[in-house]
Amino acid sequence: MDTSLVMYIAAGGLLLIGSAGIVMSSHLVRIIFGIALLEAGANLLLLLASFREGATAPIIVDGHVPAIMADPVPQALVLTAIVIGVGILALALSLAIRVQRAYGTLDMREIRDRMAQEIADTASIDRPISSHAPLPVDVTSVPSPSEGKG
Amino acid sequence: MNNLLLLIALPLITAFLLPILDRVSTMLARLAGPVVLFITSAIGFWLWMQLGGQTVAIQLGGFLPPLGITFYVDQLSLLFAVAINVGTLLLWPDDGEDRLRRSILSLILAASGSGLALSGDLFNIYVFYELVAVVSYGLVASKSIPGAYAATIRYLIISAFGAVLVLTGIALVYQATGTLNLAQLAQLAPDKLNNLQGLAAFVLMLIGFGVKAELFPVNTWVPEVYATAPTRVSGLLAGVVSKLALIVIVRLLVLVFHQPEAQTVMLVLGILGVVTGELAAWRARDFNRMLAYSSIGQLGIMFIAFAIPGQAGVFAGLAVALHHLIVKPALFLLAERWGGSLEKLAGAARTSPLGAALFIVLALSLIGVPPFPGFWAKLLVLVHLGEQAQSLYYLGGLVILAGAALEANYLFRVASSFYYPDNKQELPPAHRRRDITIASVLTAGLVASVFVLSPLAERLDGIATQASDVPRYIQTVNPAALPEAQP
Amino acid sequence: MTVLDQLLVLSALTVVVTLLAGNRSFGGWLATLMYAGQGILLWQMSGLGYAATPVVESSLSFQVLNQTLHWRFDALSWFFALITVGAGLCSSWFSSGEWGQRYRQSGGKLGLLHFALAFNVFSMLMLLASGELLSMFIGWELVSWASFLIMAIGSATATRYAMRYLTYAIAGAMAILGAMALVYSITGSFEFDAFKAAVPAMSPSMLWMLFGLFAVGFGIKMALLPFHLWQAKAYAETPGPGAAFLGAISSRMGLFALVLVLVQLVGMAQLAKMEIPYTFLSARDLLAWIAVFTIIFPTYTALQQHDARRLLAWHGVGQTGYMLLGIVIAGDLGSAGGLMHVFNYATYQAMLFLVVTAVIHRTGTSDLNKLGGLVARMPISFFLLLIGIIGLAGLPPMNGFVSKWLIYRSLIVDANPLLFVAAVIGTLGTILSVYKLIHNIFLGQLRLEHTEVEEAPWSMLLPMVLLAAVVFVTGYFPGLVLDWVSAVQGAVGLPVLAHHLGGVAMDKGGLDMIWIVSVLLAGFGIGTLVFFAGGRSKRVHQLDNYAGGHFLTAETRYQYSDNFYPGLMHLIGPWYRKSFRWIERGFVSFIDILSQAMQGIYRNTHPVLYLLAVVVIALSWVVSQ
Repeated sequence: MDTSLVMYIAAGGLLLIGSAGIVMSSHLVRIIFGIALLEAGANLLLLLASFREGATAPIIVDGHVPAIMADPVPQALVLTAIVIGVGILALALSLAIRVQRAYGTLDMREIRDRMAQEIADTASIDRPISSHAPLPVDVTSVPSPSEGKG
Repeated sequence: MNNLLLLIALPLITAFLLPILDRVSTMLARLAGPVVLFITSAIGFWLWMQLGGQTVAIQLGGFLPPLGITFYVDQLSLLFAVAINVGTLLLWPDDGEDRLRRSILSLILAASGSGLALSGDLFNIYVFYELVAVVSYGLVASKSIPGAYAATIRYLIISAFGAVLVLTGIALVYQATGTLNLAQLAQLAPDKLNNLQGLAAFVLMLIGFGVKAELFPVNTWVPEVYATAPTRVSGLLAGVVSKLALIVIVRLLVLVFHQPEAQTVMLVLGILGVVTGELAAWRARDFNRMLAYSSIGQLGIMFIAFAIPGQAGVFAGLAVALHHLIVKPALFLLAERWGGSLEKLAGAARTSPLGAALFIVLALSLIGVPPFPGFWAKLLVLVHLGEQAQSLYYLGGLVILAGAALEANYLFRVASSFYYPDNKQELPPAHRRRDITIASVLTAGLVASVFVLSPLAERLDGIATQASDVPRYIQTVNPAALPEAQP
Repeated sequence: MTVLDQLLVLSALTVVVTLLAGNRSFGGWLATLMYAGQGILLWQMSGLGYAATPVVESSLSFQVLNQTLHWRFDALSWFFALITVGAGLCSSWFSSGEWGQRYRQSGGKLGLLHFALAFNVFSMLMLLASGELLSMFIGWELVSWASFLIMAIGSATATRYAMRYLTYAIAGAMAILGAMALVYSITGSFEFDAFKAAVPAMSPSMLWMLFGLFAVGFGIKMALLPFHLWQAKAYAETPGPGAAFLGAISSRMGLFALVLVLVQLVGMAQLAKMEIPYTFLSARDLLAWIAVFTIIFPTYTALQQHDARRLLAWHGVGQTGYMLLGIVIAGDLGSAGGLMHVFNYATYQAMLFLVVTAVIHRTGTSDLNKLGGLVARMPISFFLLLIGIIGLAGLPPMNGFVSKWLIYRSLIVDANPLLFVAAVIGTLGTILSVYKLIHNIFLGQLRLEHTEVEEAPWSMLLPMVLLAAVVFVTGYFPGLVLDWVSAVQGAVGLPVLAHHLGGVAMDKGGLDMIWIVSVLLAGFGIGTLVFFAGGRSKRVHQLDNYAGGHFLTAETRYQYSDNFYPGLMHLIGPWYRKSFRWIERGFVSFIDILSQAMQGIYRNTHPVLYLLAVVVIALSWVVSQ
């Protein structure tokens, strides 16, 4: 199998594993790892755009121009993307720490419930946000003492 | 025209200097941000006057295209660059415990937003987009309540996934064409990108950039974030930042991806956005989330509008976008004191009559009642949708009309409760002078635009024509014929 | 400045005046004078009403988005404008005097009421003057919001009903906007002529879509079945003269627009050609049957009400059906009847509402079970209500008789026995319920607490007397109104009715009101002479009587008011199961469920799941292209 196909499979696999991790896991840190894997996969994919069979670095050594040169642009792009990814991961981890300190848990389901509860409390909505809650505003029926058969 | 880069450089430098300034003098640090933004807005306005009807390309670092990064200045990009600066200035964070951090983040937001609007290189756009994203994470989490952290991390997860999608899309584009310069892409697109790979790249980038543009279904972060972030930040995000992301998508659509399928995808997602947004707003029980869902609905309308092919679509979408850009921040300013349960707002007209009146005017414009500008924008969209004579576009029109009927109901349910309180209830607080002044200024601008509707419409038409003029874009960026890039 | 410009400017000035000075007593009088001024300006345009001038243009015009907005009056607009300004004048006059003072003292926002009234009149004039579809829509929206304003200012209950109205109204407005966008997409312009020219070439599905959208939009405003639920309660809760104004003319704006679009532009002939598949009905028949059901159901609902204002408001819903029925039949007789009914109905509905408001002003209640015998204390009001009732029931010598005669005659001529029977059933319901109204308020036993009630003050009586005079005079000489009606028919493209001052001359029995009313008056005159000159009558106290061996006393209540028509109710009562309310509630619940579902979408644990799902779906769709 030629290298590029293996690499494409690897990139796709990383994307797949990362997405699966984010979607299927409910633990915040695992989700963040999933993001890291996703970014790795995307970076690999971008890098593969510059792949050429048998290419070398595009540097002219002693006046000798290499026959096949690898495209340097995607490498630069990937460097930037990696740095961005690292920054975002750092931010995500610090937010995870804050969340853990505030809620005491890193389970996404519980975080979601607690957040929804907190939003409801801040907005002073008394009734629970449940799918069985009765209708809040009845726009059609108004108590009408003077209606009826006369 | 090179002064344009000051729009990016100045706020960035000031942002990094702010901590040092703060040690020296708090007053200086407090003033530095607004002053710098005022200067950049003024520079932006001045450049707008100078620009007239031309388009200019700034080659950064002197590197000629396609090797360097180009900044493309036409009326559309300059308009939004000025808008982000003015918006950040108007919605400048007020004094609180983390004033410094928020000021820094706001300045970086202004800088990166300007860059996002002006950039003409795909990866440069991605970098600025990520900058805007990271800064917005910081701003959203700046209210140090647990709910804010939770909302931010959920926002981050979706946004990071979206960024990955954009990167994948960029990879596909680069693989097909070998360049990331938008002008060269525009040249190469009919040959190289008019295929499956191009469409896939567009879909990925649409969904990726659509996270910020509140595209369905990546807009699940919107209600949570708007409910837990400071209201000024919500106003900024809903008002300006979402439009920036939308403009990026529109640029891609106009310049590079001309397939009708691309427009179909946008249309379908826009329709779903309007349906889910307006329906969800019907039962909203607190003010912030009602505005959030309404925002989703309005952005859905914009996506539907931009999905109309040709200059007509850009014109209609631009009208709706600019209208929303003024109305939403004003509404969020009103939400500063009115955030909270809608039932508690009964009788607000007593404590804040001006606020109630402003809300009614803004609501009327949002619904689309003549003579307010919102009506004319919606009329444009509907008329052009009707012209398409395809059932999906008709569905879009139907959905917009139904959404307006729903909007009228939930917005005026709130508005009429302002005037008729229940008997024994605490009245909601009055607005702070700063909030109500800025909201009044925005609303006054809205009402004033009714009187200059015709010239305004012509101007917008000109902007839209210029923005959809692909040959002009290519011509401006590189007047000479381009050598073929090495794939 | 043409006369139309002067009219619009004066109307706008009235709005400003009421905004600034509405709360003071002179503000109301000034506004009333300005309405009179508008009436004078309208009279200057009376060439329109006599088919002398076809159109009066306005010099106002705007260019927006490559569309020119312009305004003009033709005979149809003039006819409706006459009614609008007249209704505004009477309402403003009524509320400027003692009623207004009492309203302000009890905490009502009189200034806002005057302003809302003036804004309503202005917006209606703008709608009536529309020159193409875009200005028509702008006027339509202005009218909808103006109605909302005047409905919402009464009380918290009024605001709730007004919100219900608003939901219906905006839904209707959006339907109209959709239809307009469709028209634009076909013809490329909003002009009426372009639309009219394009109609013959349109495909049936397009015609049906346009018909459906326009009919729904206008029908909601007119409160046609099944969109009629909002009107009665909303009108009943509007503060006094506001209700009179709304009842008189507000929902007729829907009729105006319907005549303009469906009759003048599309044409009844075209509608008659549009067949509903698998039935024998055409679009025109559909409208006729909707009109007929709109006559029957609300009228019998009216008869069950025991609040005087609700009763009158439900009547308003029902009588619209007559107007629509007449216009849809579209012969010269029918359309004349329908159009004349708009005028007639405005006059007596305004008068009836004003009388009821005067009764509320004096006695403090509008509950029919708590009134009675007021003829002894408020004889002039009784007489005015009697005139209104005779008109509403459609009996000579009042003008209601003429319009109803025309409609019945047209139904017979058009060979529509079922519709005719249905219309007559509607009239039966009307007669029954108006009798209930007058009996429960004025006839019967006077209550103890009302023995000191005075007659309504002159500031309230004068506008009602004016309206009663109009009712009687136009009943005596229907040709006066029929002149205007035939001008409208000519302008709109309907066959013109040949008439004379007394009515209509036809081979197989025409109508000559001069004869009929003269004979009636002569008969009454002779009867009165005999009664008073005979000298056999004696004045006794109402309670100077005995029943069942007991003498009557004032404390015991002998007034029969509750469950007024038990036999009829026994028959039709089971049919009134509030089915329309059930449908409305069901629809709202449906929206609520959808809304809940949408909120559920936004509240999930794994938002990224959606993102992934959409990406996968979109990519697989892309691959399949």
